[in-house]
Amino acid sequence: METTRYLSPAWGAIAKAKLLAELDPAKMNGASASMSNIYEGCADGASRYLFLECKDGALSRFEVGEGEAPEAEFRILGSYETFASITRGELGSQKALMLGKLRLKGNMAKALRLASLADRVNKVLAGIPTEY
Amino acid sequence: MPYDLTPASPYWIDNRARVRQLQAAMAANGLDVYLASRPRTMSFIMDAFCPWRSYLVVPAKGDPAFFTFVIDATRVADETWLPEDRVRAYAPMGGQDQASAISSFVLEELGLTKGRVGYEDGMSTWTPEGYLSHYEYEAFRAALPGFEFVNSHELVDAMSVIKDAGTIARFREASRQVDEGHKAVREAISGGGWKGLTETVIGGIAALAMRRAGSVSEWNFAGLNEISSGRRSALGACTPPTTKPLAAGEPLMVDLHSMHRLALGDHSHNYLIGPATKAQRRHADNFVDLVSTVLGAWKAGSTPSGLAEVMFSRAEALGCSDFVVPGCEHGIGLFGDEWRIGSAADSPIPYWTDPDHIYAEGEMVICAMQYASPGDGLGFRYENPIVIGAGGVEALSKYPLGIEEV
Repeated sequence: METTRYLSPAWGAIAKAKLLAELDPAKMNGASASMSNIYEGCADGASRYLFLECKDGALSRFEVGEGEAPEAEFRILGSYETFASITRGELGSQKALMLGKLRLKGNMAKALRLASLADRVNKVLAGIPTEY
Repeated sequence: MPYDLTPASPYWIDNRARVRQLQAAMAANGLDVYLASRPRTMSFIMDAFCPWRSYLVVPAKGDPAFFTFVIDATRVADETWLPEDRVRAYAPMGGQDQASAISSFVLEELGLTKGRVGYEDGMSTWTPEGYLSHYEYEAFRAALPGFEFVNSHELVDAMSVIKDAGTIARFREASRQVDEGHKAVREAISGGGWKGLTETVIGGIAALAMRRAGSVSEWNFAGLNEISSGRRSALGACTPPTTKPLAAGEPLMVDLHSMHRLALGDHSHNYLIGPATKAQRRHADNFVDLVSTVLGAWKAGSTPSGLAEVMFSRAEALGCSDFVVPGCEHGIGLFGDEWRIGSAADSPIPYWTDPDHIYAEGEMVICAMQYASPGDGLGFRYENPIVIGAGGVEALSKYPLGIEEV
């Protein structure tokens, strides 16, 4: 199976297309929010991000890149390896937060209401054949 | 209940004005941010019931941000006047524990890198006062390096001594609810109805009547409704009801608590379950006399020590000074504000009531008097929220003062 490098521009394009195709706005509870996953300590020493924005339940913006992440309502910080484990389906995002492997910045009260939506996003991303 | 008050409501409290008043006091004291942790401060500023460990972060300008245990944040957001995005949660998650969530707010959202943080510390006679624990203090200091922490609880205490019209109206309504509880108890124990009832059942009868009258809680941490009978009525200040059955020839103390929009009803009424002895009747008449005497002497300008002198002088004249328990009052405010008037003042014994505190017009306390004769197996308690005026006091419970034989 052909794989794509995690967080590369090509992987980002596949991820965006897959999210647009598979995330049903009707099941996203009309959510409007933005989130930046910030990958600390990547192997090449760089910092990377995955930015996602939804408006009224529909994906409105999706980016992956290096350096400073776009402003977002929620920022989730963690190591590359932690995020990779989550995307591979080896580690639940909730457990990673409870273990302190991920650090959430933003209004926790609202984040709770979005937790199930984040899980749906992770499940879609987990379906991409990826080289970590 | 969702927050539903408008300035037209008799129960309206201008909470934004309270925030501005606190911010002015912060500026006068050189504070850049105020970190509150006491339930009394949450009630006073948030106008919402905040029973879980909570923190209110008041910046120099703008709306405060509230942080509470994640399971209760949505409910508080529904009930407070604060904008929803200012009601936050903490949780056992990376970046969301108490110190991380609050320091992120201070450093990143307020943009502060150094300054003076006011916090709430001290001692209290009751457990749920809510001062910052030593662990919390160290955790917040570690999370906010470069900040100086200054104990500043007196800012909120000073603001909350004089009650505004909306607060007093809430207390009036809470007292009306308490009076409904007393009526229900009176009806239940009359005509021999007391037979087979226990202290806990009396508390429950009152609770149901008060809830039907609109009360949301029997808020008191010492035992909800405090009921004692027989020798237990002579045992002092904390009287959680027990399963002791009421008995003929014994006193019965009924101290009921209600809550209306965070204001607390607190009225204690006493009975003698017949047949009463002459000694019991004499003690009862003495106590009613003492309460009347003290209430009649109370006005703006009075002091706790002055009222104690009035009480003991009258007790000497009645020949009952051996049975009088010292003290005539305890502080009261919105939920969590109890037991002090002294911590806002310069009391000679810190965190106790200043005996020379001068009561001012618009101040509220609970007139709280006790009488105990353990040898006779008898004690009485009177409590009633009072609003202090220039020429006297308004007792908010209108239930008639007296110790009747049933």
